[in-house]
Amino acid sequence: MYHLISDIIRQSEENECVFWEIVQQADADERGVSKEESFETMRKMYQAMREADEHYDPKVRSASGMAGGAGQLLHEYNETGENICGDFVGKVMEKAIKMGESNACMHRIVAAPTAGSCGVIPAVFLVAEEMLHLSEDQMVEAMYVSAGIGSVIAENASLAGASGGCQAEIGSASAMAAGGLAYLQGGDAGQIADAAAFALKNMLGLACDPVGGLVEVPCIKRNVAGAVNALTSAQLAMAGIKSAIPADEVIDAMRRIGNEMPSNIKETSLGGLATSPTAQKRIV
Amino acid sequence: MNIFDVVGPVMVGPSSSHTAGAVRIGYIARKLLAEQPRKVQINLYGSFLATGEGHGTKKAIVAGLLGMQTDDERIPMAFELAKQQGVDVSFGEANLKDAHPNTAQLILQGISGQTIEVVGQSVGGSRINIASIDGIETNFSGDYPTLVVHNQDGPGYVSAVSTLLTEQGINIAYMQLYRSNRGGDAVMVAECDQEVPQHVMERLKQVDGIGKVTYLGMMGDE
Ligand code: SF4
Repeated sequence: MYHLISDIIRQSEENECVFWEIVQQADADERGVSKEESFETMRKMYQAMREADEHYDPKVRSASGMAGGAGQLLHEYNETGENICGDFVGKVMEKAIKMGESNACMHRIVAAPTAGSCGVIPAVFLVAEEMLHLSEDQMVEAMYVSAGIGSVIAENASLAGASGGCQAEIGSASAMAAGGLAYLQGGDAGQIADAAAFALKNMLGLACDPVGGLVEVPCIKRNVAGAVNALTSAQLAMAGIKSAIPADEVIDAMRRIGNEMPSNIKETSLGGLATSPTAQKRIV
Repeated sequence: MNIFDVVGPVMVGPSSSHTAGAVRIGYIARKLLAEQPRKVQINLYGSFLATGEGHGTKKAIVAGLLGMQTDDERIPMAFELAKQQGVDVSFGEANLKDAHPNTAQLILQGISGQTIEVVGQSVGGSRINIASIDGIETNFSGDYPTLVVHNQDGPGYVSAVSTLLTEQGINIAYMQLYRSNRGGDAVMVAECDQEVPQHVMERLKQVDGIGKVTYLGMMGDE
C-alpha cells in the first residue's frame, strides 16, 4: 500500500522494482486479483482510450450546440504543415480536443481521472506510442504510473472540480500524463515524480467555471492545455531538472488551494467564465 | 481507492455525475423493480433539473431503466429504444425539500404490475446513493448485492433475515433499518458480500409481517 508519491518511490527502491509495479501490486492486493488480471483490466482501459480516439466523429455536435467540429479543424490545419508546434505536439493537441468533443457529444470515453479531463492522458499516450514506437505493454505500464499518481492525488487532495476546482481535474490529468510520459521516455521514479510535480504546479488554482454547467466550455480546450503541459513537464524532468517542491507537497498545496477557493468557481457555474456576458447569452 | 475509479470507468459522456451516475440510478431502480418497466415517471431535482438537458441526464436515466450500463453506446438513443419496447416515459419536477442537488425520483410500474418508487442521488464521480424506496429512507450505493425487505415495524424481523442469510453462508457487510413511524412500515437494507439466491427471497416473503422483498444482484439482468 502507498499513500504518497514518496511511498511509491521508497517501495520501488526497497523491492528493486519500478514505479508501476508498486501500483500494480497494490491493486492486486486491494481487489484480491492476480497481478496478471490487474494488468489485463488496465489493458482494457488503454484499448478503450484508443477506440474512443478512433471513433471521433467530425460531424457530431453537442446538445447545446457549443461543442463539435474543432478536432476536425485542427486536423485540417495540422495537415497543412503550418502548426509551428510540430508534428508530435500537433497530434497531441488534435487528439486531446477530439476526445473532449466526443465526451461532450455523448460518445464513449474513459474517465481519466474524470469525464471532463478525459482527453489529456490518451492524447499524450497514443501519440507517444506511435511516435516513440512503443509496445502496448509499455503503454499499460505507463497507465499504472498515471493511476498511481492519480490515486495519491485522490487520497490527499481531490479529483473533482466540485471540491477542488479544475486543478483537480485537468491539473490531475496533466500530472498523471506527465509522470507516465517520463516513464515511457526512460525516466526513473524520481523523474516521474518531478514530471508530475511540474505539471501540477502549472495548474494550481485553476477555476472550474463551466458555461451553463456543461462539460464543454472551457473543458474541451483545457484538455489541450493539460496535454501540452504534460509534454513540457516531462521534458523538464528528463533534462534532469528537479522540482524545488516535492510532488507530495505540491499535492498538499493543491488541497489547501482547493479548500480556499470560493464555491462560485467550483463547478457551480456561479462565477468565472460561466457568468461572463457571452456565456449568459448562450445559455438560456 | 480502486485505481479503476481513477483511470476509468469507461463511460458515455459528458459527465460522470450527470450522465454515468444517472444511468446507474436508472439501472439500479430497474433491478429493484426486477422486471421490464411498462410505465415510468421520472422527476428531477436541483442540478439534474437545471443542467440535465445538456448532460443527457434524462436519456441516461431511461437507458439505465432499460437495463443499459454506463458504457453502452445506445444511451443517446434511449428515448427511441424505450418507445420501441413500449415503455411509457414521462418527466416532471421532483417536489423534494433540501434534497441532494443531483437527485431523481423514479416511479415505476413493471409489465406484471409491480410498482416501486426510488429516489436516487448522484454523489460524485459516477457513485450514487439510493436515498429512499417507496417513501422510506434508505442509504445504499448499489456496489454490493443488496436485499431490501419491507416489513411491519416490530421485533423479530432482523433476526429472521440474518438467520436465513447466515444459513446460506451469506455475510452481511452493512445493515440499516428505517421506519416511517413506530409500529408502521419499516425497511431493512442488507448489503451483502455474496449473492442472495432466489429461494431465500421466496422464504422471506412467506414470513408473517414481511411485505415486499426486493433484491439488487450484481450479476447480469434477471
Ligand atoms: S472546468 Fe470544471 S467541469 Fe470543466 S474540466 Fe475543469 S473541472 Fe471539469
